[in-house]
Amino acid sequence: MKKEIFAKNFLLITLVLLLIFAVCPRIVAAAGLFGAPQTVSKEAGGINTAVGYWYHEDTCQNGADHKIRQNMIYSQAAYGAGNIWEIYARLGVSDLKIFDVFSSADPSTATGKDDFEENWKFSGTLGAKIFYPFNETFGMGAFVQGTYYFSNFTDNVSGISGGVPFVADLKVKNLWDVNFGVGLQATLSCGMRLYAGPYLYYSEAKMSLSAAVPGLEYAAGNVSVENKSTAGGFAGADIPLAKGFRLNIEGQYADRFSAGAAISYTY
Amino acid sequence: MKFYIKIIVRLKFQKRRALKFVSRTIPHSGGYNTPKQALGSIPVIVLFIFLTAGYAHSAGVTGGALSASSSGPVELASSSAHVPVQTAADAANPLEEEYKEDEVSDNDTGKAVGEEKAEIADPLEPVNRAMHQFNDKLYFWALKPVAQGYKAVVPEPARISVKNFFSNLGFPARFLSCLLQADFSGAATEAGRFTVNTVWGIGGLLDPSSGKELDLQMQDTDLGQTLGVWGIGQGFYIVWPVLGPSSPRDSVSIAGDYFLYPVSYIDPWYDWLGVRVWQEVNATSLRIGDYESLKNAAVDPYVAFRDAYIQYRLKAVKARKAKMMKSASEEAQSPEREPAVPKKEN
Repeated sequence: MKKEIFAKNFLLITLVLLLIFAVCPRIVAAAGLFGAPQTVSKEAGGINTAVGYWYHEDTCQNGADHKIRQNMIYSQAAYGAGNIWEIYARLGVSDLKIFDVFSSADPSTATGKDDFEENWKFSGTLGAKIFYPFNETFGMGAFVQGTYYFSNFTDNVSGISGGVPFVADLKVKNLWDVNFGVGLQATLSCGMRLYAGPYLYYSEAKMSLSAAVPGLEYAAGNVSVENKSTAGGFAGADIPLAKGFRLNIEGQYADRFSAGAAISYTY
Repeated sequence: MKFYIKIIVRLKFQKRRALKFVSRTIPHSGGYNTPKQALGSIPVIVLFIFLTAGYAHSAGVTGGALSASSSGPVELASSSAHVPVQTAADAANPLEEEYKEDEVSDNDTGKAVGEEKAEIADPLEPVNRAMHQFNDKLYFWALKPVAQGYKAVVPEPARISVKNFFSNLGFPARFLSCLLQADFSGAATEAGRFTVNTVWGIGGLLDPSSGKELDLQMQDTDLGQTLGVWGIGQGFYIVWPVLGPSSPRDSVSIAGDYFLYPVSYIDPWYDWLGVRVWQEVNATSLRIGDYESLKNAAVDPYVAFRDAYIQYRLKAVKARKAKMMKSASEEAQSPEREPAVPKKEN
């Protein structure tokens, strides 16, 4: 009886949280794998670590839409217990490409390139997940995770505006995101876990161009850029390998498709 | 200091042996009538031994009688010359039991080892004793108090993680040593350990490789052992200030390991020094009391440490040699080496 009440409350709480996120102003992201809802740590409690790669695509907007692309490599340490909860932290490095952000809307301005590109910058991620098993095979879980980039992404553009050459730096500052989702999980007899569910996300960054160039955006300084979509879906598989290792592969789709893989080790 | 620390555990098991050998070594240990005489002859002896005997010295393993040279080698008790007899008192002591297991394992590999006597010359004994005293004071007056304070502040799991981290950084020296000893399985194990511990051990803070499932144990080797495997002898006994017991051969190892240790490249020098001090303080905090108990157990701590050090190194080199021979014999017996016999077709 208690179990049923808990299950109902759990579902209700997660649905309410999803709704709250959905009606919140704007939401965005770039985070890495969410992973299976259920922790891979030992039931008695223990650490698991992982290393992963994440390919991320999304669309950000501030007036005009810009496709963004990131490649992230990260290392994760997590602690979980009881097969129901886990907290984790990640340290990652990621590049950033924003397409067509240097394309001029003014015919009198010509730029040397269209895309913003910057290489590896460090980011940190914190997350937590909780899982409720319905039976030995199926269960449901929820997670929340947030990522913050410790340093700014910077790229410069040169060109000619009204016959005058110019060079300007574009900074992407304080890039962060938060994700929240629920997932259904099915555990197969071989130990493989399949999972899928919806998620909501919000991502934001401040962008500023060092010089006011006609036809280029963000010259006003610290313009907020957010992601276009606010919700998406994710699905993945967590496959046991050998000697305590597991392979986690996952895809996410919001405005664009993102995917990645991680190999975890359970202590 | 690191060699002091390495041999501390060994010395616990060798207390009785140390007492025996002290009585034998003391008459041999000097050869000088006065410290002045000894000091005066040191440079000549050092030069002579370095040039003639030091690096060309055989592995310090002989089957013959002890040299009668006045400044010559001091005979140390063999670690494999006798079969241990278990007494009731021994059985009650797990440490003794473990030690005897070591002895048995020595005898298992004894075919390669045989009846041996470890010898070490100690022509610098007066200076070595002074250095030993200096290191002893350094430990009690500086290292131990700092380590105790550190221990009080930092929880043990964190200190073990720090130890794991620095141990993981020692990979290049161990890996190269394995390669130079043609121990390719050891080198592969080290490479695997480094990869797993760095990637899934959070940069080496954790040691998943040593777990039951992976079972990739650290290869306890260094360049000094490599030189030993190549047949280069210990030479004579040296006690370096701060670094502790050594020999010309192992001093080469100290230098080589320095260049292969990433921490050595930290710049500026005071950052490097800070990291090295932290490493030592952390390591010491994990074994406070070992040195004291050993020192208290020895009649002459200097001699006890010298004995233990030489035996520890000799045993390590023997173990590496035995491993090499074992892998070589396995390779020779592998089916790939046997000529292929065509199957009879019915």
